[in-house]
Amino acid sequence: MKATKKRRWIIFAAFVIVYLFIMIFPFLWIFITSFKTSGEIFGTGAFRAIPEDPTFGNYVTVLFEKGILKAIANSFIVATTTTIYVIIVATLCAYAISRFRFRGKSILLGIILAVSMFPQMIITGPVYNLFYKLDLLNSYAVVLPYSTITLPMGVWILVTHFNQIPLALEESAEIDGATRFQTLYKIVFPLAAPGVFTTAIITFIAAWNEFLLTITLNTNAAYHTVPVAISFLRTQFSILWGEVAAATAIVTIPTLIIVLIFQKQIISGLTTGGVKE
Amino acid sequence: MKHKLGFSGWFYLLPTLILIGIFSIWPVFQSITYTMFDYKLNDQQKAGLYVNDRFNTDLFNETTLYVGMFLEEELASVSEQADKDLIRDTLTNLKESAAPYASQEGIIKLSSSEAKGIQALYTTTKKTIDTLSQKYTLTHAENLPLLVEDINNSMIPSNFIGLKAYKEVLSDERMHIALWNTILFTLVSVSIELVLGLGLAMILNKAMVGKGIVRTTSLIPWAIPTAVAALMWSYLYDGSSGIVAHFFENVGLISQSQDLLLSGSGAMVSTIIADVWKTTPYMALLLLAGLQNIPKALYEAAAIDGASRIKSFFQVTLPLLKSSILVALLFRTLDAFRVFDLIYVLTGGGPGGATETMSIYAYKLMFGQTNFGYGSVIVMVMFVCVALIAIIFVRLLGTNLLDRN
Repeated sequence: MKATKKRRWIIFAAFVIVYLFIMIFPFLWIFITSFKTSGEIFGTGAFRAIPEDPTFGNYVTVLFEKGILKAIANSFIVATTTTIYVIIVATLCAYAISRFRFRGKSILLGIILAVSMFPQMIITGPVYNLFYKLDLLNSYAVVLPYSTITLPMGVWILVTHFNQIPLALEESAEIDGATRFQTLYKIVFPLAAPGVFTTAIITFIAAWNEFLLTITLNTNAAYHTVPVAISFLRTQFSILWGEVAAATAIVTIPTLIIVLIFQKQIISGLTTGGVKE
Repeated sequence: MKHKLGFSGWFYLLPTLILIGIFSIWPVFQSITYTMFDYKLNDQQKAGLYVNDRFNTDLFNETTLYVGMFLEEELASVSEQADKDLIRDTLTNLKESAAPYASQEGIIKLSSSEAKGIQALYTTTKKTIDTLSQKYTLTHAENLPLLVEDINNSMIPSNFIGLKAYKEVLSDERMHIALWNTILFTLVSVSIELVLGLGLAMILNKAMVGKGIVRTTSLIPWAIPTAVAALMWSYLYDGSSGIVAHFFENVGLISQSQDLLLSGSGAMVSTIIADVWKTTPYMALLLLAGLQNIPKALYEAAAIDGASRIKSFFQVTLPLLKSSILVALLFRTLDAFRVFDLIYVLTGGGPGGATETMSIYAYKLMFGQTNFGYGSVIVMVMFVCVALIAIIFVRLLGTNLLDRN
């Protein structure tokens, strides 16, 4: 019995190590490559695990010549704006869905669910024309159509969270003379704060990673976000892998920090989306 | 007890309704409209949705001015009196026909009698020029016939085509390939992700060592932008410097490392591997949440009844995990079906269209060729497929997806 237990432990440990290796290896290899010179990457040193002649040249080029810092700044602006307005709008909507009876509620929920399943490609053409008419192409107004991706998800997660807060608390607040808005603001919001925070992080990541709308609506490089700017490093003819590696390493850092700090909230947000009963 | 939402309560819902209305619902109906027009942004006669025939007055006024000027100059190169009269008649006709539009600008609607008038003007003027150029050597022999065509071009025929584009899509070979690629990519990657994800979730559920670090590590591929992951993999797959391509060559999976991204099947396998790498951990986390909800007592009971591990997996785990699996499958299937950034960055749909999915094809039509009409048709086909997938899964799930709220 003890021997089989030990054997199972070893198999388990081996599996975990292999899994971790597969998950981490691409990042590790990119990190190593970012310190290699072009000569080494395209020559015989392509597969060496330790750079022969380590250099920061790639980082310098990417940061100061290829506008990666500008892209990171754009991503922060776009993702933060989206998070703030989506959280406000989604909280109001989710509160109404969770706390009130009204006609058409199931239709509204159905629409919200349907929108989250749309192929985003369907909105790009009309929104492109709309933005062209309103002269909004190449601007931060791109955060508005982001709502099609983030808002349904936000409402969905928040409704689940609000449903877990007992109604009795609000009823007693009401008896004490609080207005509907005060109830939301003073009772529901603090209790729902963890859920709201979770939704905010998921929204932020979704907005940070958005690609299609930015590449179609903001063709001007001055408004490129990280994913789009990164995709332009891969040109048709010459790919400078050293620079690509350095850029990838830099843009992974913000995501890494968010994941390390907020992993509990992220997992809770992912699982309330559908699974948790 | 829940309150009824009063009139003022709609304030809570209004912002959501406005945003979803403008940026999600309206575009869908707009896209449906696009599919019924031969709508191309880069073509002067097709850059709008014209249900009726239209008239480009700017082009018309400019053209008639030049035709008149040139014809007047030709009076010198014509010798017979009859032909001089012909030119004078044509000039008068031109001036009379152009007069009503002289003060107009931009694109206007034409009544059918007006359209006939313009058509007649075009035919008579063209006839005059043809007759003259056969008889004489004209000063503007090259320019006049071209200019006359612009009278015709200033009439914009309706580009409404009804459902014709849907008929076209049925016989569009490239669309068939794109649909097949999308289905292949979705089926293969989602099945692999489900099997690996389920396995990973079950291992994580048996809490031993390293659970925390595995969970943290699993979140990173999910959290990084797909475009960044795709670029990273394109380096690993690269024909000359890519270590994964090099590894595949060494173990004999491919004969040459260049083949990986340059052969059709190699490129498809590569995109699937990259997708599996990025989303299996996400799948595992979703399923793990479901697994943790299964009471341990059920397994103990099954063990007492003498069920083997395998049997308890099929009799206890799978049935209780059914709704978690279906929800995870639903979201993953839809995501895979809509795949865009991964393929756009990794292969661009190549080589030779071997990894071109529906979104990539639609994107190239709309933003590469500015063919919004036909591009929207491809998007609509995608939309219908996505709706079918969603309906099938929602049926399988029963009503509990909506009921919980």
